[in-house]
Amino acid sequence: MSVKERDPLTGHQTTGHEWNGITELNTRVPRAIWFFIIVTHVWALFYWVLMPAWPTVNTYTKGLLGVDQRQQVEARVAAADAKRSSWSDPITSLTLDEVRSDPTLMAHVQRTAPALFGDNCAACHGAQAQGGPGYPSLVDQAWLWGADDETVLETLRVGINAPHPESRFSQMMAFGRDGLLDREQIRIAADYVQSLSRPAEEINADRLAAGATLFEENCASCHGEDGTGSQDLGAPDLTDEHWIYGGDEKSIFNTIFHGRQGWMPAWEQRLSETERRILTIYLGQLKETHHDD
Amino acid sequence: MLQRLTIAERQLALAISIAVILAGLLMAAAGSGDPMGPHGAIVMFAGAIVFLAVLRVIQDPEPLEDRAENYYDDPTRVGLLISLGWAVIGMGMGVWVAAQLAWPDLRFDAAWSSFGRIRPVHTSGVIFGFGGNALIATSFHVMQRTSRARLAGHVAPWFVLLGFNLFCVIAASGYLMGVTQSKEYAEPEWYADLWLVVVWVIYFVLYIRTLARRNEPHIYVANWYYLAFILVVAVLHIVNNLAVPASFAGAKSYSAFAGVQDAMTQWWYGHNAVAFFLTAGFLGMLYYFLPKRAERPIYSYRLSILSFWGITFFYIWAGSHHLHYTALPQWVQTLGMTFSVMLLVPSWASAGNALMTLNGAWHKVRDDATLRFMMVAAVFYGLSTFEGSFMAVRAVNSLSHYTDWTVGHVHAGAMGWVALITFGSIYAVVPTLWQRETMYSWKLVEWHFWLALAGTVIYVFAMWNSGITQGLMWRTYTESGTLTYSFTDTLVAMHPYYVARAAGGALFLAGAILAAINVYLTIRNVPQKRTEGDYPTPSEATEPAVPVAE
Amino acid sequence: MFRKILSPFARMFEFQARTHYRAERHSMALTVGIILAAGVGGFVEIAPLFTIDETVEAAPDMRLYTPLEQAGRDIYIREGCYACHSQMIRTLQDEVDRYGPYSLAVESQYDHPMLWGSKRTGPDLARVGEKFSDEWQVQHLINPRAVVPESVMPQYAFLLENELDVESLPARLHALRRVGVPYTEDQIDNAAIDARGQARPETEAADGVFQRFGDDTNVRFFDGRRDRVTEMDALVAYLQILGGLTDLPSQTRSLEGD
Ligand code: HEC
Ligand code: HEC
Ligand code: HEC
Ligand code: HEM
Ligand code: HEM
Ligand SMILES: [Ca+2]
Ligand SMILES: [Ca+2]
Ligand SMILES: [Cu+2]
Repeated sequence: MSVKERDPLTGHQTTGHEWNGITELNTRVPRAIWFFIIVTHVWALFYWVLMPAWPTVNTYTKGLLGVDQRQQVEARVAAADAKRSSWSDPITSLTLDEVRSDPTLMAHVQRTAPALFGDNCAACHGAQAQGGPGYPSLVDQAWLWGADDETVLETLRVGINAPHPESRFSQMMAFGRDGLLDREQIRIAADYVQSLSRPAEEINADRLAAGATLFEENCASCHGEDGTGSQDLGAPDLTDEHWIYGGDEKSIFNTIFHGRQGWMPAWEQRLSETERRILTIYLGQLKETHHDD
Repeated sequence: MLQRLTIAERQLALAISIAVILAGLLMAAAGSGDPMGPHGAIVMFAGAIVFLAVLRVIQDPEPLEDRAENYYDDPTRVGLLISLGWAVIGMGMGVWVAAQLAWPDLRFDAAWSSFGRIRPVHTSGVIFGFGGNALIATSFHVMQRTSRARLAGHVAPWFVLLGFNLFCVIAASGYLMGVTQSKEYAEPEWYADLWLVVVWVIYFVLYIRTLARRNEPHIYVANWYYLAFILVVAVLHIVNNLAVPASFAGAKSYSAFAGVQDAMTQWWYGHNAVAFFLTAGFLGMLYYFLPKRAERPIYSYRLSILSFWGITFFYIWAGSHHLHYTALPQWVQTLGMTFSVMLLVPSWASAGNALMTLNGAWHKVRDDATLRFMMVAAVFYGLSTFEGSFMAVRAVNSLSHYTDWTVGHVHAGAMGWVALITFGSIYAVVPTLWQRETMYSWKLVEWHFWLALAGTVIYVFAMWNSGITQGLMWRTYTESGTLTYSFTDTLVAMHPYYVARAAGGALFLAGAILAAINVYLTIRNVPQKRTEGDYPTPSEATEPAVPVAE
Repeated sequence: MFRKILSPFARMFEFQARTHYRAERHSMALTVGIILAAGVGGFVEIAPLFTIDETVEAAPDMRLYTPLEQAGRDIYIREGCYACHSQMIRTLQDEVDRYGPYSLAVESQYDHPMLWGSKRTGPDLARVGEKFSDEWQVQHLINPRAVVPESVMPQYAFLLENELDVESLPARLHALRRVGVPYTEDQIDNAAIDARGQARPETEAADGVFQRFGDDTNVRFFDGRRDRVTEMDALVAYLQILGGLTDLPSQTRSLEGD
């Protein structure tokens, strides 16, 4: 097929070749293609001149604009910081009560807190800070360390049993595992603990008395004579209806047998002081809107 | 089928299968207690099947036919059937993977069924299993026809085809057992990687030797692309998979590169796996089956030259667009971005060349679903390369990266381009290969076309929506200048799109199953006559015209 | 005018087309052409990453993964967590705000392979270390929806049942040394013992871990179980060190301290 043929449809010449029935036209490269090649290449050239682009052996061309992605983002973050300072500075320097009484500042708190809480706290304390097994509710009236602003702020900063040098430390001893009490004793103690929050329930009086003695000897040092706990030690009140690990027989048994040492992360490295303050205010608000059922 | 091999060839096949069985035995023995052990068993089993199949015919008489008289299509036929099998498996896994993101408990209470383990079964299953087999099978077909020469060898094509599938099976079963290097699209462990090198070298030699036999002075465009596919994939594969095994008796290995160098090597590989596996090879398919089916000349030889060298040269530079704003030095990102944009022109040149070839055949596109598959594939090729170049721009990528937008782009390319051109080519070639007039049912082809198109469109739109939504939610700031949404908020927003995607995927899968059924019905009772003209003819060609303008 | 601008290009292309025309008659010429055309880009982009010093920052305090952490990393790889989680905080404001200081190259200097990822179905994990407690990580891996109801992450409860394979650790650390991680002979030889020790505080084996990997190493009952060293121990130990290999990123951080 060496004879060049013309395609009857387009009138273009073929290249004169044929592969198993396939032929090719010798059409020019369309003008638009050249146009876009030029546009894209010229654009690329400009870009290379302006930006870091071509490597040499041990360095690279830095570009006329002197742009660097790391400096750019740092500048952007710093600028955003500066922009926020009109409201973040007061939140950091005023007392939280003063912040609470300033509607403009509170508007910023309201806007900022949900995502902050969602990204950092909700995983443990739940989306509504309602808590879950192993993680205390932050909206009930029971506090391990205290509900005042200073205490909560400090808890957030250093965490509880966290790998932070100043972390709060608290531990519920493992009476069973460490052989301080035997299983029966633990069962008795557990019954006693349950009776603290449910005095109405019928429990054998002897057993209760034995439990009281056990409690007196082993537990009162932390949870207090009457079992109302100690916020100095982070030991929970056992007489209320709020439980971290569960108030059923089995959970209480496990708590006493294996001990507990909840780990609340320290947020000093991860969240700024402003952010921790915002969260503290937010928790207070959640508590107000929360209805115990 | 195997009777067509000479006795010497059968003996060679037998020897190879024994070697494979021994290798499997060695792996099983050394790797007991490690996933390498089961892999050894799989290798042994594969070798044994071939061994038995060849043994059954070893005593049969020598073939009588004059083998130079016709093309050797047995490996192509088998390859296409295997490809369809992988299509159903791979896309079935895709639907499952998609469903797990919508309903995460839709799995078994077993380690192997978790998202992280079955996702690569989907990606490798469709890319290598479905795509790879289709490429190997069609390359054998196209290379012979455009060279007017029979394949250079009778054992080698089987070795390539079956060896490649052994690789695929080891890869997929490995993921389920937790054998992976966690390098995207290069997940298989060191022994599978090594085996693929062997297979690939034989593939290249076979290709070159067949080209050397050709009865045409010139090599047709489709073969440039197939050749680029074979060559560059070999280079990419070898470099990116360099690794040191923790022990030769176990699957675990550690990549030779670390950190930023590893990232660049990985995406140099990953992006060019797209370029030379999912693009170059399939362009080879397009350049043969589209003009053949449309019975029109290629629109422009010169455009073919321009786009081929453009694609070969520019693609390689673009890998760093997967690493924008990362710890990869910015100068590399600049190169990746600029070359990605320059790459658009040769890419569109191919898509345009294909579509312009249809000038004068648009009535066929209207009536013939097979040709429509190819036409729509070319459109999606243009679309996804445009989208790709757009996403390669740093500012755009800052939004799209890490989100479903990328997944949408992937599937516009993978479903819209790769799968559609493959199905189109299968429908075009199956009747030829099995000496039929047409497919068993053109209605089923028509149904498949619309299911595939609907599935793709639903999938891609769902992912555009979810990707852009998620990307925007991640970077939305409140009036106070603080982040508006938590990560969990974005998860909740994704759910409806994940449901839609699973539905779109199911439609696409249904189409693929129809294709398998249709092919099965077509090839029952194969008649024994040769199609007129489908055999090597002596070349009538002398020198064709030089490529100057008229 | 346009034609004039084009003419040199047209001539260049004409030359290229003719060259190609000759090459397409020789399969080997095509082969060489393809390899050359496709070889340049990779070389220019990858080779300088090994020769330009500033590519990887200097971090004198950069520490290695302990054997237990490396075992956890291998499990992270085995389970394909990279399919959903990135470990690469980009230089973008929202990412820095959400996840912390942008990732530096040096942080993955010993990561064979790197696990930067390409999809964030779940959040970035580059700095997840110590963000949550060990207990939370264990609960979350056993059943993510028990702690995060909206989660689509798979359950990995079996990790707690699987005894950790520590016997193969010396060989694994050795292989890592061959690809460039500076483990000492001592660290390699004692890898199995150290892996157990790190998950067993207050044993002699734990002392060895401090001695070989430094006093800041996390030695804990990561999975909460005292009797066994499980795959959960290893994975949690790995997760808890993410972002903690060097202090360099927080020193360059400009967000802190408002
Ligand atoms: C890894 C899980 C986890 C995360 C994340 C977490 N916490 Fe906690 N948090 C705990 C645990 C566990 C305790 C209780 C410690 C104990 O049992 O001694 C606790 C206790 C607290 C307390 C003290 C409650 C009291 O009764 O005194 C406050 C306040 C608190 N968390 C607030 C937050 C805030 C705000 C965030 C987010 C910035 C947060 N937590 C994130 C696990 C977590
Ligand atoms: C060393 C101080 C200490 C002693 C002694 C102690 N506890 Fe505790 N207890 C704690 C602390 C601290 C917690 C909170 C642990 C946490 O939240 O991680 C706690 C928690 C509990 C809880 C779980 C409360 C909940 O909300 O789930 C119970 C029940 C309990 N203790 C009972 C006892 C009993 C019974 C004894 C004696 C046998 C005892 N404790 C002795 C410090 C102590
Ligand atoms: C199907 C996708 C998927 C896979 C696979 C997956 N994850 Fe997740 N992961 C998620 C999603 C979604 C979240 C966010 C919701 C949540 O906290 O569960 C998440 C959250 C996490 C978190 C908490 C991060 C944070 O800052 O809140 C950790 C840690 C984690 N995954 C570790 C892992 C590990 C380790 C593996 C592998 C063994 C893994 N993930 C596999 C989807 C996945
Ligand atoms: C039935 C049709 C299909 C469905 C339902 C499907 C579904 C999926 C899903 C759910 C993912 C994971 C996305 C994620 O991690 O978020 C995925 C990834 C992927 N699929 Fe498919 N898929 C289908 C067809 C195909 C085809 C035909 C191909 C290729 C030829 C393909 C190639 C890929 C690739 C390359 C990825 C990885 C994408 C990335 O990492 O960005 N898929 N697919
Ligand atoms: C000009 C052509 C193309 C360019 C410039 C391009 C560019 C891109 C870009 C910028 C990304 C996103 C990277 C990220 O943010 O992580 C991407 C991802 C991807 N593209 Fe393309 N693309 C092109 C064509 C194609 C085609 C035709 C296909 C498929 C058949 C394809 C398949 C993929 C795949 C599988 C990914 C996902 C990689 C991953 O796992 O992250 N691309 N591409
Ligand atoms: Ca590999
Ligand atoms: Ca990906
Ligand atoms: Cu790419």
